[in-house]
This record gives sequence, C-alpha cells and structure tokens, in this order.
Amino acid sequence: MRETRLWSLHILVLPIIAVLLGMHFAVMHYAPVFYGMSVDKAREFSTMIERGKSVTQLVLYILLLAAALYHGLYGLRGIIRELPLTPVLVKVVDAGIITFGLFIFAFGTYVTWWTFSYKIGG
Amino acid sequence: MSDRKTTPREITFQVRRFDPDSDVAPHWGEYKLHVHDGMTVLEALHQLKAEQEPTLAWRSSCRMGVCGSCGMFINDLPQLACQTQVLHLGTDVVTVAPLPNYENVKDLVPDLEPLIEKHAAVKPYIISLDQIEINAPTGEFLQTPEERESISQFTHCIKCGLCLAACPTVATDPLFLGPQALAQAYRYSADNRDCGLHDRLEAIDLFHGPYQCHLAGACSQACPKGVDPAFAIQLLKRTLVLDSIGFGKKKSSVAKIMPLADVVKAIEEFAPPPRTV
Amino acid sequence: MNSNKPTAYNNRLGIKGWVYAGRYTFERYLYLGHRVSGLGLIAYMVLHIIETANRMRGVEAWQGLMALFASWPFKIIEYLLFAMAVFHAMNGVRLLVTELGFFLGKPREPVYPYSTSIKRHRPLTFVIMGLAAMIIILGGSSLFFP
Repeated sequence: MRETRLWSLHILVLPIIAVLLGMHFAVMHYAPVFYGMSVDKAREFSTMIERGKSVTQLVLYILLLAAALYHGLYGLRGIIRELPLTPVLVKVVDAGIITFGLFIFAFGTYVTWWTFSYKIGG
Repeated sequence: MSDRKTTPREITFQVRRFDPDSDVAPHWGEYKLHVHDGMTVLEALHQLKAEQEPTLAWRSSCRMGVCGSCGMFINDLPQLACQTQVLHLGTDVVTVAPLPNYENVKDLVPDLEPLIEKHAAVKPYIISLDQIEINAPTGEFLQTPEERESISQFTHCIKCGLCLAACPTVATDPLFLGPQALAQAYRYSADNRDCGLHDRLEAIDLFHGPYQCHLAGACSQACPKGVDPAFAIQLLKRTLVLDSIGFGKKKSSVAKIMPLADVVKAIEEFAPPPRTV
Repeated sequence: MNSNKPTAYNNRLGIKGWVYAGRYTFERYLYLGHRVSGLGLIAYMVLHIIETANRMRGVEAWQGLMALFASWPFKIIEYLLFAMAVFHAMNGVRLLVTELGFFLGKPREPVYPYSTSIKRHRPLTFVIMGLAAMIIILGGSSLFFP
C-alpha cells in the first residue's frame, strides 16, 4: 500500500482520539466537574460496571482502542524501522507490530465486552 | 600597511584525522594558528596544510559557496568551510570533523555517493507527456513569474550534502531518501511543465520517503543556500495526500508553448544596446 | 586486485543523532520530545489495557489496584503521563498543520539572510508550547493534586 494512505490514516484517527480521550478524561479524572462525583467514586468497581453497561460506551471504547492503537503503533513502527534493519527484520517488525496490535485490540475489546455483559450480583 | 580590522588571534584547531591505510578509527589532531579577521575555515585549513600538516586531506573547489564541495562539521554544525569565518564562530577552540552520516573516506572527506544516488532515484528532471514536442521542439515551454517563484528556492540546491548530515532520520536510516532528494522530488513535481509525479511515486511514496521527516528543521538550518528542504518535504506530503484522494493538481499534458518565432522576437526586443567599443 | 582497498570509516551518528540536539534549532528538541513522549504513551497504553483487565479478577482485585493508584508515587507517575500526553497532543497539533504545508509561508526567492519555514512558523510553535505548559501546570496540578 502507498505509504501516503497509511500516514493519512494515522492523521485521520486524530479527531477520534481527541474527542474520545477527552471524554475518557472527563469521566475518569474530571468526574467532580462533569458528573458531580469524586474521582474515587468514579473509579469504584460498581460505578465502572454501571458505566460499562451502556452500548454507547461499548462502541466508543472499542473505537478509541482501535484509533489509539493504530496511531501509536504506526508511530512505533516508524521509530523501529528507522533503525538499520535487514529486509528479513523489516518483515518481522511489520508482522510483529500488526500481530501485537491485533492481539491487544482483541484483548481490550474482550475486557470491554466482559464489562458490558457483567451480571450484577450474578 | 595591513587593512585588517583586528590583530591576529591564536585559535586552536581540533581536526579529526583518519587514514584508511593505517587507522582503524579516527583520532583528533590539534594545531594552533594565528587567525586574522575575515579568514575562513577553508583558508585556515590551507594554511595548516602549507605550514604544519601536509598530509591533511579535504575536498574543496570554488571557495565561494557555489560548488558545495567543502561541507564539514564545524563546531558541531554542518557548514561550508568556505563560508564560515573562524572568528565569527566565537570560540578559541574550533573543531573540524567530516560530515556525519556519510562514510568517511579520509580525514575531512565524506563519501557523497549516497546523496547523488538518492538524488538520481527521484527522477530530478522535467517529465513531459508531450513527447512530440520534446523530440522536435517548436518553441519554448512557458512559465509565469508566479509559477517560477513557487519552485525557485528549491532550484538553488548545490548538493553539498549538509542537510543529510544534519538530519536525525538519516543518522540511523541509510535508506531514507533524505532532505535533498525529497526537496528535489517536490521541486520537479510542482513545476508547471512537469507531469511526472506518478512516475516518481515508486521512488518516493515509500516508508523511506517524506513521512520519515518529522520536521526537526535541522536540514533547513544547515542549508547554506536557503533552499529550506524541510519546507519542500511538507509541501510534498500535502501534494501526495491530495493526489491519493483524487484532489491532486490537474496539469495539462501539454505545457503552453511560445513558438520559436516569438522567442526570436522576444530576444530581439530585450536585446542589449549595441556595443560602444 | 582490490583486496587491499582501504576501508572507509562509518561516520553515521546512529541513535545519538536522534537524541543529541546540540546546537540545532528549538524544533529539533521538540522532535526529540515528541518521540520520547510517544514511546512513553504507547507503552503506557498497553500497560493500561492490561492493568484495567484486572477487573475480571473481581471486586477486591480492582479496588486494591485503585487504592494503589491513589498513592503518591502513582499520582506522580500519572501526572508525568498527563504532561507527556498534553505535550504530545499540542506538539501534534503543530505537526498536523505544518506537515500538511500550512503556517509555513510561501516559497520565495532565497535572499540572505535566509528566511526558513521553521523560523516562519515559530510564533505558532511558541503559542502552542505556551498553551501546553499552561495546561500541564494549571490543569494538571488542579487535577492530580487538588
């Protein structure tokens, strides 16, 4: 694929990261300002589970996960591949980053789904 | 009577030495020289060679910042030795080393071959689709002053290689095209007479192309001719992004031509007055 | 024939070329900061995903972890992460606009002393870095150390 498309995508995900990370900060760190609850309360298990039951939260967190992982791992790939690598190592780095990204994405999605489908009291 | 403004000052020159026949690694040689106002690093090297160290090697030619041969790492910045006045550096100890990020052939001589190879790789020439006109010209391709100004500064490159010595990406990545070649890729792709952007994609739209420039700005700081390669690279990124989504600048496959008869007329019109002697 | 060909010395700076900004411009230091903060943030993001998965081990495990994060050493680490994120985001805004060729002026005839695109967008650089510093100091301190 043309490098331009990969690079453009790492730019295009920025608005998603900015908005969703802002919301994540508002929920987790600015809870007293936006939700009138203490930070400790916002981080409590029951509050976290209650928040996680929302479909919107499920979708938005998976979207944030995908966007942030793409942006971050594209940057990491850039840094590693700037090192003098053999053609074999280049393939290993590219494949390794894709595999690692997919694994972390799958894991994060599973945790978000686990929270969404958690049965309170069950 | 001397017209020098100041009395000569003693400056210590630390010059990096390397002889491939006898050395495994470079070492530093120290020389003292009385430097007068206006003396360049290149002049100082000539004097050192004449008076103290006849085996000292470097590359230089024009002595006036045109040929781009005498690029060196002077006081930790890549600079042309012929344009750098010793006393303007403001230090009593002046270090002179070969340009980093190149192979060091001997003493202060870098191997600039990778620079030239990368330059050639981006097809640094006008690629016209009008092969009939190229093979049997009927006139001159036209370019307005505005069109000329939009690429003018990028045409001033003298291929001295200082920008690659300054670039942090080139420091580790031997395949990165580098500021010089990428600036030239933009210079030709942006030319109104050129239709070769797509011919260059194979060479530039790669991992080792413009996106490994992270705007550290060192190349533009180092450039002795005001080419501002970092600027050209960012404009190249914009050109490539717009092209990839189908919003690239539409260029006519046939550049406007001024017929030869008009060219002759224009030459006559702007001809200099007759000689008086 | 060429068996005795002298070998040139490899003068490539290597990683020192990334890290050492020396006498280069302010933007070269920002390049270094962007790289270091980016590496820090991606490392943290992966750790954050693993660490928040602790919820699957039950209420006690989660509450224990949250109590740990409320301690002072973790608050300081969290503040440093916040500072890195703000710097990376703000410098990212600068890079976003400049890497697409905006705020850099127009190409011009190079007349000595040369004006470079780096110098021309420096006011933007200073404004953005000033804002980043304000957010880190005011926003961050009120957030983490109320």
